Amino acid sequence: MIPLEMFLGLSAILFAIGAYGVLTKKNGIVVLMCIELMLNAANINFIAFAAFFNDVAGQVFVIMAIAVAAAEVAVGVAILLNLYKTSGTTDLEEINVLRW
Amino acid sequence: MTFPDFTLIAPQLIVLAAALLVPGLYFLTKNDKLAGMVSLAAVVASGLYLGWMMLEGVEGSFLGVYAVDDFSLLLTGLFLIVALLVLLASLKSVERDRHHGEYYALLLAATAGMMFVACAEDLIGIFVGVELTSISSYALVAFRKNDPRAAEAAVKYLVIGGLSTALTLYGFSLLYGVTQTTSLAGIALAIGSAPSAALYISMAMLIAGLGFKITTVPFHMWAPDVYEGATAPVATFLAVGSKKMGFVALFKVFLIGFVAAQATVVSDMQYLFAVLAAITMTVGNIVALSQTNMKRLLAYSSIAQAGYLMMVLAIATEYAVIGGLFHMITHVFMKGGAFIIVAALCYISMGEKLSDYKGLAKRAPILAFSMLIFLFALAGVPPLAGFVSKFVLFSSAVGSPGAEFGGQWIWLVFVAVINSAISLYYYARVVKYMYVDEAETEERIKVPMSFMAAIVLCLVAVIAIGLYPEPVIKLCEAAAAALLA
Repeated sequence: MIPLEMFLGLSAILFAIGAYGVLTKKNGIVVLMCIELMLNAANINFIAFAAFFNDVAGQVFVIMAIAVAAAEVAVGVAILLNLYKTSGTTDLEEINVLRW
Repeated sequence: MTFPDFTLIAPQLIVLAAALLVPGLYFLTKNDKLAGMVSLAAVVASGLYLGWMMLEGVEGSFLGVYAVDDFSLLLTGLFLIVALLVLLASLKSVERDRHHGEYYALLLAATAGMMFVACAEDLIGIFVGVELTSISSYALVAFRKNDPRAAEAAVKYLVIGGLSTALTLYGFSLLYGVTQTTSLAGIALAIGSAPSAALYISMAMLIAGLGFKITTVPFHMWAPDVYEGATAPVATFLAVGSKKMGFVALFKVFLIGFVAAQATVVSDMQYLFAVLAAITMTVGNIVALSQTNMKRLLAYSSIAQAGYLMMVLAIATEYAVIGGLFHMITHVFMKGGAFIIVAALCYISMGEKLSDYKGLAKRAPILAFSMLIFLFALAGVPPLAGFVSKFVLFSSAVGSPGAEFGGQWIWLVFVAVINSAISLYYYARVVKYMYVDEAETEERIKVPMSFMAAIVLCLVAVIAIGLYPEPVIKLCEAAAAALLA
Protein backbone atom coordinates (compact mmCIF):
# COMPACT_ATOMS: atom_id res chain seq x y z
CA MET A 1 0.00 0.00 0.00
CA ILE A 2 1.22 3.49 -0.81
CA PRO A 3 2.12 5.23 2.48
CA LEU A 4 -0.02 8.14 3.68
CA GLU A 5 2.88 10.60 3.44
CA MET A 6 2.89 10.28 -0.36
CA PHE A 7 -0.71 11.46 -0.59
CA LEU A 8 -0.13 14.31 1.84
CA GLY A 9 2.97 15.37 -0.10
CA LEU A 10 1.05 15.33 -3.38
CA SER A 11 -1.77 17.40 -1.92
CA ALA A 12 0.67 19.87 -0.33
CA ILE A 13 2.39 20.38 -3.69
CA LEU A 14 -0.96 20.84 -5.47
CA PHE A 15 -2.07 23.29 -2.81
CA ALA A 16 1.16 25.28 -3.12
CA ILE A 17 0.87 25.45 -6.93
CA GLY A 18 -2.71 26.65 -6.61
CA ALA A 19 -1.85 29.27 -3.99
CA TYR A 20 1.06 30.52 -6.11
CA GLY A 21 -1.27 30.84 -9.10
CA VAL A 22 -3.93 32.73 -7.15
CA LEU A 23 -1.34 35.22 -5.94
CA THR A 24 0.50 35.80 -9.23
CA LYS A 25 -1.86 35.22 -12.17
CA LYS A 26 -3.70 38.16 -13.70
CA ASN A 27 -6.43 36.43 -15.67
CA GLY A 28 -9.58 35.86 -13.61
CA ILE A 29 -10.35 32.51 -15.24
CA VAL A 30 -6.86 31.18 -14.43
CA VAL A 31 -7.22 32.36 -10.84
CA LEU A 32 -10.51 30.46 -10.63
CA MET A 33 -8.76 27.32 -11.94
CA CYS A 34 -6.02 27.73 -9.33
CA ILE A 35 -8.64 27.91 -6.58
CA GLU A 36 -10.02 24.61 -7.93
CA LEU A 37 -6.53 23.11 -7.61
CA MET A 38 -6.41 24.15 -3.96
CA LEU A 39 -9.85 22.68 -3.27
CA ASN A 40 -8.85 19.40 -4.92
CA ALA A 41 -5.67 19.29 -2.85
CA ALA A 42 -7.88 19.32 0.24
CA ASN A 43 -10.07 16.60 -1.30
CA ILE A 44 -7.03 14.35 -1.78
CA ASN A 45 -6.20 14.83 1.89
CA PHE A 46 -9.71 13.85 2.93
CA ILE A 47 -9.77 10.74 0.74
CA ALA A 48 -6.31 9.64 1.88
CA PHE A 49 -7.21 10.06 5.54
CA ALA A 50 -10.57 8.37 5.07
CA ALA A 51 -8.95 5.33 3.42
CA PHE A 52 -6.24 5.25 6.06
CA PHE A 53 -8.65 5.49 9.02
CA ASN A 54 -11.29 3.28 7.38
CA ASP A 55 -13.76 6.07 8.18
CA VAL A 56 -16.53 7.14 5.84
CA ALA A 57 -16.89 10.73 7.11
CA GLY A 58 -13.96 11.95 5.03
CA GLN A 59 -15.47 10.59 1.83
CA VAL A 60 -18.81 12.23 2.59
CA PHE A 61 -16.94 15.50 3.09
CA VAL A 62 -15.32 15.15 -0.35
CA ILE A 63 -18.67 14.63 -2.07
CA MET A 64 -19.97 17.78 -0.38
CA ALA A 65 -16.81 19.68 -1.31
CA ILE A 66 -17.06 18.68 -4.98
CA ALA A 67 -20.68 19.84 -5.12
CA VAL A 68 -19.74 23.14 -3.48
CA ALA A 69 -16.80 23.65 -5.85
CA ALA A 70 -19.05 23.06 -8.86
CA ALA A 71 -21.55 25.64 -7.60
CA GLU A 72 -18.75 28.10 -6.94
CA VAL A 73 -17.38 27.74 -10.47
CA ALA A 74 -20.86 28.15 -11.96
CA VAL A 75 -21.38 31.42 -10.12
CA GLY A 76 -17.76 32.45 -10.60
CA VAL A 77 -17.68 32.09 -14.37
CA ALA A 78 -20.97 33.98 -14.63
CA ILE A 79 -19.52 36.83 -12.57
CA LEU A 80 -16.34 36.93 -14.69
CA LEU A 81 -18.42 36.89 -17.87
CA ASN A 82 -20.37 39.83 -16.51
CA LEU A 83 -17.11 41.65 -15.75
CA TYR A 84 -16.02 41.02 -19.33
CA LYS A 85 -19.30 42.48 -20.59
CA THR A 86 -19.09 45.63 -18.48
CA SER A 87 -15.38 46.40 -18.70
CA GLY A 88 -14.13 44.36 -21.67
CA THR A 89 -11.44 42.52 -19.73
CA THR A 90 -10.94 39.62 -17.33
CA ASP A 91 -7.58 40.96 -16.20
CA LEU A 92 -7.74 41.40 -12.43
CA GLU A 93 -5.07 44.11 -12.41
CA GLU A 94 -7.01 46.37 -14.73
CA ILE A 95 -10.10 46.63 -12.55
CA ASN A 96 -9.51 49.42 -10.07
CA VAL A 97 -12.54 51.68 -9.93
CA LEU A 98 -12.88 50.92 -6.24
CA ARG A 99 -9.95 51.71 -4.00
CA TRP A 100 -9.27 53.10 -0.53
CA MET B 1 -32.86 3.23 11.30
CA THR B 2 -35.37 5.65 12.75
CA PHE B 3 -36.66 8.53 10.72
CA PRO B 4 -34.83 11.77 11.65
CA ASP B 5 -36.80 14.48 13.44
CA PHE B 6 -37.13 17.20 10.82
CA THR B 7 -39.02 19.50 13.18
CA LEU B 8 -35.67 20.32 14.81
CA ILE B 9 -34.47 22.16 11.72
CA ALA B 10 -37.90 23.43 10.68
CA PRO B 11 -36.92 27.14 10.86
CA GLN B 12 -34.15 26.52 8.34
CA LEU B 13 -36.40 24.36 6.17
CA ILE B 14 -39.11 27.06 6.05
CA VAL B 15 -36.57 29.62 4.79
CA LEU B 16 -35.10 27.15 2.28
CA ALA B 17 -38.56 26.20 0.98
CA ALA B 18 -39.36 29.87 0.47
CA ALA B 19 -36.05 30.33 -1.36
CA LEU B 20 -37.16 27.64 -3.82
CA LEU B 21 -40.75 28.86 -4.03
CA VAL B 22 -40.15 32.57 -4.60
CA PRO B 23 -38.45 32.43 -8.04
CA GLY B 24 -41.14 30.09 -9.36
CA LEU B 25 -43.87 32.32 -8.03
CA TYR B 26 -42.22 35.37 -9.54
CA PHE B 27 -41.82 33.60 -12.88
CA LEU B 28 -45.54 32.75 -12.95
CA THR B 29 -46.97 36.06 -11.71
CA LYS B 30 -44.25 38.64 -12.57
CA ASN B 31 -45.33 40.41 -9.39
CA ASP B 32 -42.32 41.82 -7.52
CA LYS B 33 -44.38 42.91 -4.47
CA LEU B 34 -45.64 39.35 -4.07
CA ALA B 35 -42.11 37.91 -4.16
CA GLY B 36 -40.99 40.32 -1.45
CA MET B 37 -44.02 39.68 0.72
CA VAL B 38 -43.72 35.89 0.48
CA SER B 39 -40.05 36.14 1.52
CA LEU B 40 -40.97 38.39 4.42
CA ALA B 41 -43.76 36.03 5.45
CA ALA B 42 -41.39 33.04 5.36
CA VAL B 43 -38.86 34.81 7.60
CA VAL B 44 -41.59 35.83 10.04
CA ALA B 45 -43.08 32.31 10.06
CA SER B 46 -39.68 30.82 10.67
CA GLY B 47 -39.11 33.31 13.47
CA LEU B 48 -42.45 32.48 15.09
CA TYR B 49 -41.66 28.77 14.98
CA LEU B 50 -38.24 29.52 16.46
CA GLY B 51 -39.87 31.56 19.23
CA TRP B 52 -42.10 28.60 20.02
CA MET B 53 -39.04 26.31 20.15
CA MET B 54 -37.34 28.73 22.56
CA LEU B 55 -40.39 28.88 24.84
CA GLU B 56 -40.79 25.11 24.81
CA GLY B 57 -37.07 24.66 25.43
CA VAL B 58 -36.68 22.22 22.52
CA GLU B 59 -33.32 20.45 22.44
CA GLY B 60 -31.93 17.66 20.33
CA SER B 61 -29.61 16.59 17.57
CA PHE B 62 -30.45 16.12 13.91
CA LEU B 63 -28.41 13.13 12.63
CA GLY B 64 -25.42 14.33 14.68
CA VAL B 65 -24.85 17.16 12.20
CA TYR B 66 -27.16 19.88 13.51
CA ALA B 67 -27.74 20.43 17.21
CA VAL B 68 -30.58 22.44 18.69
CA ASP B 69 -29.74 24.09 22.02
CA ASP B 70 -29.85 27.55 23.61
CA PHE B 71 -26.82 28.70 21.62
CA SER B 72 -28.10 27.65 18.20
CA LEU B 73 -31.60 28.97 18.92
CA LEU B 74 -30.29 32.40 19.92
CA LEU B 75 -27.99 32.69 16.89
CA THR B 76 -30.64 31.36 14.49
CA GLY B 77 -32.98 34.01 15.81
CA LEU B 78 -30.34 36.70 15.38
CA PHE B 79 -29.77 35.69 11.74
CA LEU B 80 -33.54 35.78 11.14
CA ILE B 81 -33.60 39.33 12.50
CA VAL B 82 -30.79 40.23 10.08
CA ALA B 83 -32.82 38.73 7.23
CA LEU B 84 -35.91 40.64 8.31
CA LEU B 85 -34.04 43.97 8.40
CA VAL B 86 -32.39 43.36 5.02
CA LEU B 87 -35.69 42.29 3.43
CA LEU B 88 -37.44 45.41 4.72
CA ALA B 89 -34.65 47.54 3.27
CA SER B 90 -34.72 45.58 -0.01
CA LEU B 91 -38.45 45.88 -0.74
CA LYS B 92 -38.03 49.39 -2.14
CA SER B 93 -34.32 49.34 -3.03
CA VAL B 94 -34.71 46.73 -5.76
CA GLU B 95 -38.02 47.88 -7.19
CA ARG B 96 -36.36 49.58 -10.17
CA ASP B 97 -34.24 46.49 -10.94
CA ARG B 98 -35.20 43.34 -12.78
CA HIS B 99 -35.04 39.72 -11.53
CA HIS B 100 -36.68 40.19 -8.13
CA GLY B 101 -37.40 36.51 -7.77
CA GLU B 102 -33.74 35.62 -7.97
CA TYR B 103 -32.78 38.41 -5.57
CA TYR B 104 -35.11 37.24 -2.82
CA ALA B 105 -34.24 33.59 -3.44
CA LEU B 106 -30.51 34.30 -3.05
CA LEU B 107 -31.13 36.36 0.07
CA LEU B 108 -33.21 33.59 1.65
CA ALA B 109 -30.70 30.90 0.68
CA ALA B 110 -27.89 32.93 2.22
CA THR B 111 -29.95 33.32 5.39
CA ALA B 112 -30.62 29.59 5.54
CA GLY B 113 -26.87 28.96 5.24
CA MET B 114 -26.16 31.20 8.22
CA MET B 115 -28.88 29.47 10.22
CA PHE B 116 -27.37 26.08 9.43
CA VAL B 117 -23.95 27.25 10.63
CA ALA B 118 -25.54 28.44 13.86
CA CYS B 119 -26.64 24.92 14.76
CA ALA B 120 -23.89 22.84 13.11
CA GLU B 121 -22.08 20.39 15.37
CA ASP B 122 -19.93 18.86 12.66
CA LEU B 123 -17.33 20.25 10.26
CA ILE B 124 -19.44 19.19 7.27
CA GLY B 125 -22.38 21.21 8.58
CA ILE B 126 -20.18 24.28 9.07
CA PHE B 127 -18.57 23.97 5.63
CA VAL B 128 -21.80 23.53 3.70
CA GLY B 129 -23.55 26.33 5.60
CA VAL B 130 -20.70 28.78 5.12
CA GLU B 131 -20.53 28.00 1.40
CA LEU B 132 -24.29 28.26 0.90
CA THR B 133 -24.08 31.78 2.31
CA SER B 134 -20.87 32.72 0.46
CA ILE B 135 -21.93 31.56 -3.00
CA SER B 136 -25.33 33.20 -2.66
CA SER B 137 -23.71 36.45 -1.60
CA TYR B 138 -21.27 36.48 -4.56
CA ALA B 139 -24.31 36.53 -6.80
CA LEU B 140 -26.05 39.11 -4.61
CA VAL B 141 -23.09 41.48 -4.86
CA ALA B 142 -23.21 41.16 -8.66
CA PHE B 143 -26.97 41.71 -8.67
CA ARG B 144 -26.90 45.11 -10.38
CA LYS B 145 -24.95 43.57 -13.20
CA ASN B 146 -24.81 46.55 -15.55
CA ASP B 147 -23.08 48.66 -12.93
CA PRO B 148 -19.29 48.38 -13.44
CA ARG B 149 -18.69 48.96 -9.73
CA ALA B 150 -20.91 46.02 -8.81
CA ALA B 151 -19.21 43.81 -11.42
CA GLU B 152 -15.78 44.69 -10.06
CA ALA B 153 -16.83 44.24 -6.42
CA ALA B 154 -18.31 40.83 -7.24
CA VAL B 155 -15.09 39.64 -8.91
CA LYS B 156 -13.00 40.79 -5.96
CA TYR B 157 -15.36 39.12 -3.52
CA LEU B 158 -15.39 35.93 -5.61
CA VAL B 159 -11.61 35.59 -5.79
CA ILE B 160 -11.06 36.40 -2.12
CA GLY B 161 -13.99 34.21 -1.09
CA GLY B 162 -12.75 31.30 -3.20
CA LEU B 163 -9.29 31.58 -1.68
CA SER B 164 -10.78 31.62 1.80
CA THR B 165 -12.88 28.55 0.98
CA ALA B 166 -9.80 26.69 -0.22
CA LEU B 167 -7.81 27.60 2.90
CA THR B 168 -10.69 26.62 5.17
CA LEU B 169 -11.24 23.30 3.43
CA TYR B 170 -7.53 22.45 3.58
CA GLY B 171 -7.52 23.37 7.27
CA PHE B 172 -10.54 21.12 7.84
CA SER B 173 -8.85 18.25 6.00
CA LEU B 174 -5.75 18.48 8.23
CA LEU B 175 -7.96 18.81 11.30
CA TYR B 176 -9.72 15.61 10.22
CA GLY B 177 -6.37 13.93 9.74
CA VAL B 178 -5.15 14.88 13.21
CA THR B 179 -8.34 14.12 15.13
CA GLN B 180 -9.79 11.29 13.00
CA THR B 181 -13.23 12.81 13.38
CA THR B 182 -15.32 15.56 11.86
CA SER B 183 -17.41 16.17 14.97
CA LEU B 184 -16.73 19.41 16.84
CA ALA B 185 -16.74 17.66 20.22
CA GLY B 186 -13.80 15.48 19.15
CA ILE B 187 -11.95 18.44 17.68
CA ALA B 188 -12.40 20.45 20.89
CA LEU B 189 -10.72 17.62 22.81
CA ALA B 190 -7.75 17.68 20.42
CA ILE B 191 -7.35 21.48 20.53
CA GLY B 192 -7.62 21.40 24.31
CA SER B 193 -4.86 18.79 24.69
CA ALA B 194 -1.21 19.14 23.66
CA PRO B 195 -1.30 20.20 19.99
CA SER B 196 0.94 18.73 17.28
CA ALA B 197 2.64 20.55 14.41
CA ALA B 198 -0.06 19.45 11.94
CA LEU B 199 -2.72 20.85 14.25
CA TYR B 200 -0.92 24.20 14.32
CA ILE B 201 -0.80 24.29 10.52
CA SER B 202 -4.48 23.47 10.25
CA MET B 203 -5.40 26.10 12.84
CA ALA B 204 -3.33 28.70 10.96
CA MET B 205 -5.17 27.77 7.72
CA LEU B 206 -8.52 28.10 9.47
CA ILE B 207 -7.62 31.46 10.99
CA ALA B 208 -6.65 32.73 7.53
CA GLY B 209 -9.67 31.17 5.79
CA LEU B 210 -12.31 32.24 8.27
CA GLY B 211 -10.36 35.47 8.90
CA PHE B 212 -11.33 36.55 5.39
CA LYS B 213 -14.98 36.10 6.31
CA ILE B 214 -14.76 38.13 9.52
CA THR B 215 -12.44 40.76 7.95
CA THR B 216 -9.45 40.30 10.22
CA VAL B 217 -6.49 42.48 9.30
CA PRO B 218 -4.52 41.52 7.09
CA PHE B 219 -7.40 39.74 5.33
CA HIS B 220 -9.73 42.76 5.34
CA MET B 221 -8.91 44.60 2.10
CA TRP B 222 -11.90 43.26 0.17
CA ALA B 223 -14.55 44.48 2.59
CA PRO B 224 -14.66 48.25 1.83
CA ASP B 225 -14.54 47.61 -1.93
CA VAL B 226 -17.32 45.05 -1.82
CA TYR B 227 -19.54 47.08 0.51
CA GLU B 228 -19.13 50.10 -1.74
CA GLY B 229 -19.84 48.20 -4.96
CA ALA B 230 -22.81 46.20 -3.67
CA THR B 231 -26.26 47.70 -3.16
CA ALA B 232 -26.72 49.04 0.34
CA PRO B 233 -29.10 46.29 1.56
CA VAL B 234 -26.64 43.62 0.38
CA ALA B 235 -23.81 45.50 2.11
CA THR B 236 -25.96 45.45 5.26
CA PHE B 237 -26.36 41.72 4.90
CA LEU B 238 -22.60 41.15 4.48
CA ALA B 239 -21.61 43.47 7.31
CA VAL B 240 -24.01 42.29 9.97
CA GLY B 241 -24.95 38.82 8.73
CA SER B 242 -22.25 36.86 7.00
CA LYS B 243 -19.54 38.31 9.24
CA LYS B 244 -21.37 37.05 12.33
CA MET B 245 -21.55 33.65 10.65
CA GLY B 246 -17.74 33.61 10.37
CA PHE B 247 -17.50 34.36 14.07
CA VAL B 248 -19.95 31.60 14.94
CA ALA B 249 -17.87 29.13 12.91
CA LEU B 250 -14.64 30.28 14.61
CA PHE B 251 -16.26 30.06 18.05
CA LYS B 252 -17.48 26.55 17.33
CA VAL B 253 -14.13 25.27 16.09
CA PHE B 254 -11.75 26.97 18.50
CA LEU B 255 -13.47 28.28 21.58
CA ILE B 256 -14.69 25.07 23.14
CA GLY B 257 -11.18 23.62 23.19
CA PHE B 258 -9.61 26.86 24.42
CA VAL B 259 -12.01 27.22 27.32
CA ALA B 260 -11.67 23.57 28.31
CA ALA B 261 -7.87 23.93 28.41
CA GLN B 262 -7.95 27.31 30.16
CA ALA B 263 -7.51 25.79 33.61
CA THR B 264 -4.10 24.38 32.74
CA VAL B 265 -2.52 26.21 29.80
CA VAL B 266 -3.10 29.28 27.70
CA SER B 267 -2.82 28.15 24.10
CA ASP B 268 -0.30 29.96 21.85
CA MET B 269 -3.19 30.45 19.48
CA GLN B 270 -4.90 32.66 22.03
CA TYR B 271 -1.91 35.03 21.96
CA LEU B 272 -2.14 35.04 18.16
CA PHE B 273 -5.82 35.95 18.37
CA ALA B 274 -5.03 38.69 20.90
CA VAL B 275 -2.45 40.26 18.59
CA LEU B 276 -4.77 39.94 15.58
CA ALA B 277 -7.61 41.51 17.56
CA ALA B 278 -5.44 44.47 18.60
CA ILE B 279 -4.17 45.03 15.03
CA THR B 280 -7.62 44.63 13.50
CA MET B 281 -9.34 47.18 15.71
CA THR B 282 -6.48 49.68 15.38
CA VAL B 283 -6.17 49.47 11.60
CA GLY B 284 -9.96 49.57 11.14
CA ASN B 285 -10.36 52.68 13.27
CA ILE B 286 -7.34 54.58 11.96
CA VAL B 287 -8.18 54.04 8.28
CA ALA B 288 -11.79 54.98 8.98
CA LEU B 289 -10.60 58.43 10.09
CA SER B 290 -9.80 59.50 6.52
CA GLN B 291 -12.84 58.06 4.72
CA THR B 292 -15.13 60.33 2.72
CA ASN B 293 -17.63 57.70 1.55
CA MET B 294 -20.24 56.67 4.11
CA LYS B 295 -20.31 53.02 3.07
CA ARG B 296 -16.51 52.74 3.28
CA LEU B 297 -16.52 54.47 6.65
CA LEU B 298 -19.03 51.97 7.96
CA ALA B 299 -17.00 49.14 6.39
CA TYR B 300 -13.85 50.17 8.26
CA SER B 301 -15.82 50.68 11.43
CA SER B 302 -17.15 47.17 11.08
CA ILE B 303 -13.58 45.89 10.64
CA ALA B 304 -12.82 47.58 13.96
CA GLN B 305 -15.86 45.93 15.53
CA ALA B 306 -14.56 42.57 14.29
CA GLY B 307 -11.40 43.34 16.27
CA TYR B 308 -13.42 43.85 19.45
CA LEU B 309 -15.25 40.57 18.88
CA MET B 310 -11.99 38.70 18.31
CA MET B 311 -11.04 39.50 21.90
CA VAL B 312 -13.42 36.69 22.83
CA LEU B 313 -11.17 34.15 21.12
CA ALA B 314 -8.13 35.50 22.98
CA ILE B 315 -9.65 35.68 26.45
CA ALA B 316 -11.67 32.47 26.04
CA THR B 317 -13.70 32.36 29.23
CA GLU B 318 -17.43 31.82 29.59
CA TYR B 319 -17.77 35.47 30.65
CA ALA B 320 -16.02 36.55 27.44
CA VAL B 321 -18.36 34.39 25.34
CA ILE B 322 -21.35 36.06 27.01
CA GLY B 323 -19.85 39.46 26.20
CA GLY B 324 -19.12 38.41 22.62
CA LEU B 325 -22.63 37.12 21.98
CA PHE B 326 -24.12 40.22 23.55
CA HIS B 327 -21.96 42.48 21.39
CA MET B 328 -22.91 40.48 18.29
CA ILE B 329 -26.60 41.06 19.06
CA THR B 330 -26.26 44.79 19.69
CA HIS B 331 -23.96 45.16 16.67
CA VAL B 332 -26.71 43.81 14.41
CA PHE B 333 -29.01 46.65 15.45
CA MET B 334 -26.42 49.44 15.55
CA LYS B 335 -24.59 48.67 12.31
CA GLY B 336 -27.73 47.34 10.63
CA GLY B 337 -29.59 50.54 11.45
CA ALA B 338 -26.78 52.77 10.20
CA PHE B 339 -26.46 50.82 6.94
CA ILE B 340 -30.22 50.87 6.35
CA ILE B 341 -30.26 54.66 6.69
CA VAL B 342 -27.54 54.76 4.02
CA ALA B 343 -29.71 52.42 1.92
CA ALA B 344 -32.74 54.67 2.38
CA LEU B 345 -30.77 57.75 1.33
CA CYS B 346 -29.34 55.89 -1.68
CA TYR B 347 -32.90 54.95 -2.67
CA ILE B 348 -33.95 58.59 -2.88
CA SER B 349 -30.67 59.17 -4.78
CA MET B 350 -28.98 61.29 -2.13
CA GLY B 351 -25.48 59.93 -2.83
CA GLU B 352 -23.30 58.19 -0.29
CA LYS B 353 -20.52 60.75 0.21
CA LEU B 354 -20.12 62.27 3.66
CA SER B 355 -20.61 65.73 2.16
CA ASP B 356 -24.02 64.61 0.87
CA TYR B 357 -25.13 64.32 4.49
CA LYS B 358 -24.71 68.05 5.14
CA GLY B 359 -27.66 69.54 6.95
CA LEU B 360 -29.50 66.25 7.11
CA ALA B 361 -30.89 67.21 10.53
CA LYS B 362 -33.02 69.94 8.94
CA ARG B 363 -34.03 67.91 5.90
CA ALA B 364 -34.89 64.67 7.70
CA PRO B 365 -34.89 65.09 11.49
CA ILE B 366 -35.89 61.52 12.32
CA LEU B 367 -33.30 59.94 10.03
CA ALA B 368 -30.55 62.20 11.33
CA PHE B 369 -31.49 61.50 14.95
CA SER B 370 -31.53 57.73 14.31
CA MET B 371 -28.13 57.93 12.63
CA LEU B 372 -26.82 59.87 15.63
CA ILE B 373 -28.08 57.20 18.01
CA PHE B 374 -26.62 54.33 15.94
CA LEU B 375 -23.21 55.99 15.55
CA PHE B 376 -22.95 56.91 19.23
CA ALA B 377 -24.03 53.37 20.13
CA LEU B 378 -21.26 52.00 17.89
CA ALA B 379 -18.76 54.27 19.66
CA GLY B 380 -20.03 53.02 23.01
CA VAL B 381 -21.71 56.10 24.47
CA PRO B 382 -23.95 55.34 27.47
CA PRO B 383 -26.82 54.65 27.93
CA LEU B 384 -27.09 53.02 24.50
CA ALA B 385 -26.82 49.31 23.71
CA GLY B 386 -23.26 49.54 22.41
CA PHE B 387 -22.03 50.82 25.77
CA VAL B 388 -23.50 47.93 27.74
CA SER B 389 -22.26 45.23 25.38
CA LYS B 390 -18.78 46.74 25.12
CA PHE B 391 -18.72 47.02 28.91
CA VAL B 392 -19.49 43.31 29.35
CA LEU B 393 -17.03 42.33 26.62
CA PHE B 394 -14.13 44.47 27.84
CA SER B 395 -14.66 43.71 31.52
CA SER B 396 -14.34 39.99 30.76
CA ALA B 397 -10.63 40.58 30.15
CA VAL B 398 -10.06 42.26 33.49
CA GLY B 399 -11.94 39.94 35.72
CA SER B 400 -11.13 36.87 33.68
CA PRO B 401 -9.28 33.66 34.43
CA GLY B 402 -8.19 32.07 37.68
CA ALA B 403 -5.62 33.61 39.99
CA GLU B 404 -2.57 32.28 38.17
CA PHE B 405 -3.40 34.07 34.91
CA GLY B 406 -5.10 37.12 36.41
CA GLY B 407 -4.86 40.27 34.38
CA GLN B 408 -2.76 39.10 31.47
CA TRP B 409 -5.20 40.53 28.97
CA ILE B 410 -5.35 43.99 30.57
CA TRP B 411 -3.23 45.42 27.74
CA LEU B 412 -5.83 44.23 25.24
CA VAL B 413 -8.53 46.17 27.07
CA PHE B 414 -6.34 49.27 27.00
CA VAL B 415 -6.00 48.95 23.23
CA ALA B 416 -9.74 48.42 22.88
CA VAL B 417 -10.69 51.40 25.04
CA ILE B 418 -8.27 53.73 23.25
CA ASN B 419 -9.72 52.48 19.96
CA SER B 420 -13.23 53.27 21.14
CA ALA B 421 -12.08 56.82 21.81
CA ILE B 422 -10.55 57.09 18.33
CA SER B 423 -13.75 55.79 16.77
CA LEU B 424 -15.79 58.48 18.49
CA TYR B 425 -13.89 61.05 16.41
CA TYR B 426 -15.06 59.82 13.01
CA TYR B 427 -18.57 59.05 14.21
CA ALA B 428 -18.77 62.58 15.59
CA ARG B 429 -17.55 63.91 12.25
CA VAL B 430 -20.62 62.41 10.56
CA VAL B 431 -22.81 63.95 13.25
CA LYS B 432 -21.16 67.33 12.64
CA TYR B 433 -21.98 67.08 8.94
CA MET B 434 -25.60 66.27 9.75
CA TYR B 435 -26.24 68.77 12.54
CA VAL B 436 -23.79 71.69 12.20
CA ASP B 437 -23.21 72.15 8.49
CA GLU B 438 -25.73 73.89 6.28
CA ALA B 439 -27.40 71.98 3.45
CA GLU B 440 -27.44 73.27 -0.10
CA THR B 441 -31.19 72.79 -0.24
CA GLU B 442 -33.77 72.89 2.52
CA GLU B 443 -35.97 70.41 0.72
CA ARG B 444 -37.50 67.84 3.09
CA ILE B 445 -36.70 64.18 2.53
CA LYS B 446 -39.40 61.55 2.58
CA VAL B 447 -38.40 57.92 3.03
CA PRO B 448 -40.71 54.96 2.22
CA MET B 449 -42.46 53.14 5.07
CA SER B 450 -40.54 49.88 4.75
CA PHE B 451 -37.24 51.65 5.41
CA MET B 452 -38.74 53.52 8.34
CA ALA B 453 -40.05 50.25 9.81
CA ALA B 454 -36.55 48.71 9.75
CA ILE B 455 -34.92 51.86 11.14
CA VAL B 456 -37.43 52.24 13.95
CA LEU B 457 -37.02 48.56 14.83
CA CYS B 458 -33.26 49.06 15.19
CA LEU B 459 -33.70 52.34 17.05
CA VAL B 460 -36.05 50.82 19.61
CA ALA B 461 -33.76 47.83 20.07
CA VAL B 462 -30.64 49.98 20.55
CA ILE B 463 -32.29 52.20 23.16
CA ALA B 464 -34.23 49.42 24.91
CA ILE B 465 -31.23 47.11 25.22
CA GLY B 466 -29.16 50.03 26.50
CA LEU B 467 -31.64 50.91 29.23
CA TYR B 468 -32.71 47.41 30.20
CA PRO B 469 -30.11 44.80 29.16
CA GLU B 470 -30.91 42.05 31.68
CA PRO B 471 -33.17 39.85 29.51
CA VAL B 472 -30.69 39.84 26.63
CA ILE B 473 -27.77 39.08 28.97
CA LYS B 474 -29.80 36.19 30.41
CA LEU B 475 -30.25 34.79 26.88
CA CYS B 476 -26.52 35.16 26.21
CA GLU B 477 -25.65 33.43 29.49
CA ALA B 478 -27.81 30.45 28.59
CA ALA B 479 -26.33 30.38 25.08
CA ALA B 480 -22.73 30.54 26.31
CA ALA B 481 -23.39 27.76 28.80
CA ALA B 482 -24.89 25.64 26.01
CA LEU B 483 -21.94 26.30 23.67
CA LEU B 484 -19.38 25.29 26.28
CA ALA B 485 -21.35 22.42 27.80
